[in-house]
Amino acid sequence: MSLEMMVGIKWVPNTQNVRFDPKTGTLIREGVPSIVNPADLDAVELALKVKDTYGGRVRVITMAPPSAVKGIEHVIGMGVDAGVLVTDRVFAGADTLATSYVLSQAIKKLGLPDLLFFGQETIDSSTAHIPAQVASWLDLPYVYYVDRVEEVNREEGYAVVRRKLEDRYEWVRVELPAVIAAALKSQVPRPVRLSEKLRFHRDKPLQTLTNKDLGLDPRCVGLRGSPTIVAKVTWMPEVPRKRQVFKGDAREAARWLVKKLAEEGILVREDGRWRVRVA
Amino acid sequence: MGQSAEFDAIVVGAGPAGATAAYHLAKRGFNVLLVERGRGAGSKQVFGGRIYAEPLREVFDDLDKAPIHRWVRRERFTILDGDRELTLDFRAGASTSFTAYLTQFTQWIAQKAVDAGAVLADEVRVDGLWLDGGRVRGIVAGPDRVAARVVIVAEGVNRLLLERAGFVHRASPRELALGVKEVIKLDKKTIEERFGLEEGEGLAWVLLGEVTDFIPGGAFVYTNRDTLSVGLVVHLGGAYQLLRDQVHVLAERLRTHPRLSRFFEGGDIMEYSAHMTIEDSVGYMPEHFAYDGMVIVGDAAGLLLNTGLTIRGVDYAAYSGYLAAKGVERALSEGDASAEALRRHYEVPLRESFIYRDLMRHRGASYAMKNPRMFREYPRVALDTLEEIYTLGRETPLPHEALARALSRNRVGFAEFALRMLKVVMSL
Repeated sequence: MSLEMMVGIKWVPNTQNVRFDPKTGTLIREGVPSIVNPADLDAVELALKVKDTYGGRVRVITMAPPSAVKGIEHVIGMGVDAGVLVTDRVFAGADTLATSYVLSQAIKKLGLPDLLFFGQETIDSSTAHIPAQVASWLDLPYVYYVDRVEEVNREEGYAVVRRKLEDRYEWVRVELPAVIAAALKSQVPRPVRLSEKLRFHRDKPLQTLTNKDLGLDPRCVGLRGSPTIVAKVTWMPEVPRKRQVFKGDAREAARWLVKKLAEEGILVREDGRWRVRVA
Repeated sequence: MGQSAEFDAIVVGAGPAGATAAYHLAKRGFNVLLVERGRGAGSKQVFGGRIYAEPLREVFDDLDKAPIHRWVRRERFTILDGDRELTLDFRAGASTSFTAYLTQFTQWIAQKAVDAGAVLADEVRVDGLWLDGGRVRGIVAGPDRVAARVVIVAEGVNRLLLERAGFVHRASPRELALGVKEVIKLDKKTIEERFGLEEGEGLAWVLLGEVTDFIPGGAFVYTNRDTLSVGLVVHLGGAYQLLRDQVHVLAERLRTHPRLSRFFEGGDIMEYSAHMTIEDSVGYMPEHFAYDGMVIVGDAAGLLLNTGLTIRGVDYAAYSGYLAAKGVERALSEGDASAEALRRHYEVPLRESFIYRDLMRHRGASYAMKNPRMFREYPRVALDTLEEIYTLGRETPLPHEALARALSRNRVGFAEFALRMLKVVMSL
């Protein structure tokens, strides 16, 4: 049997174009095109690189409304073999717990892959919960901040991956199956290829799973299965800038700046020294 | 990669021309691939804001279901200079054009193409035409080659494929203009109140003079349902020497102009875009609209008419796509995709159509518009003449005196002015 890989992706509103409604504190999603969560493309690329070296199959899985097929088309265009869309009205309104539960049950149903990849976090919520929670539900080892898969040995049941940390790399040997989260911006996702797009349109390598297929307790999925409560959304008040410009040499400018900051009460004089006032 | 995917036709570019060609071919049962570089059909295009409907009624029998914003009844033409303003305001008895978002409109066409069975492959950049001894056999996209009996090139004004393959000359700046546009959100009611429009009625407004810093070109405002499209076009030929600021500064100045800002006040800028457009259509046109295994449609074929008062390109694009589909159908049914057959079935009908005839009839106007004095001195002559007529002290000048003074103030000879005006009138 060949290497089986799966990548979890999320279909998200392109938050570069999303604005907040200042009255309700919610996202204005109207007319905002959705994209595949950029960090998930790092995960797709990481999986495709493993496939380039070892062969095997890469599938993507997403829990989303049917419009997410467009996102599956995109990653299939990159070279992913097939896509799984997990979709059902009862899954709507899920927090990360309910989402990871549904995803993990769907993955179990499809058969555990050797490597299960995720992006580090999503641009529309940035919790980074899903890979860890899926690993917990499936009771699998979980390695994150991974920027390279050094070795996969299916026969002996392990992989060696490199973690990209702030000031060093760390090599981890992990048992298969394993959950791996790709380090943010660690890959350059490959462009879509015409021949892969044509394969998508010709073969429609797409599978849909609903709760009819999964048979999950409705109390554990969707809004009902989500203990998270977003009590309030607020944002930092904008500080009005005074936009004063001083022209002169550096020494004069520094004196002017200190004087101004003192007037504002930001700098205070204590024991003959200036210090920043602690609010 | 071999020729595993063989299509009857490959359309390069899902704009109004390409999507229409794909739709009509797919509808006639042909196996069509529509390739688009952007994400989704129409995602890379920019236009001013107005589409003429009449030719499209032949192309789409359900045009009224298209994402139309407002039917344009009000036409406005303004010359601005400092705090002086001359405006011609015309309300037409009937409307023959509508405002729209071109991306929405193109998606509407592309969806028809997909529903009719065309394959839309977006996010794919076509790198070249697949040439085989001068004959176009298909397209090259990255490592992939895909063959087709005919390639329909609808790549738009930035026609890199045709240039690379040597089918067209490299465009000269004199043939092109740069357009920049902002979309400003305002609510429906506010738009109607500010522009004096009836409910659902649209306005098309062309402005000259200070708004383009007197550089050849013009500014425009179109009313959409609950947004305004506001922008300007500067001719690249003239802009070379004359442009003193970045073009986006001109767009900013247009929006904040003391005589105009009240129309845009309180609106949110939703998007900013810029694109090349055709200024001299006849100069830009390829020598032929069809070659062995290939036809050229839309902007790539130079099909855009700017008379100074009206601009039309989208209806020309869609109509040329429609003619191309009919021509390709005939050629393929005869089993002959040679240049000769495609010219007989597409190029000849295109040259006989209202599009080509009008482009040729208006070429004089295009030359007139190349004269920078059309955009600096002549608008001022008009304003100065009116100033003489209306701003009275003790003396009331005769009209010809007012004109003579205005001409001499702007150092325009009477003979030159008369001749130039005559030429413009003749060319119209």
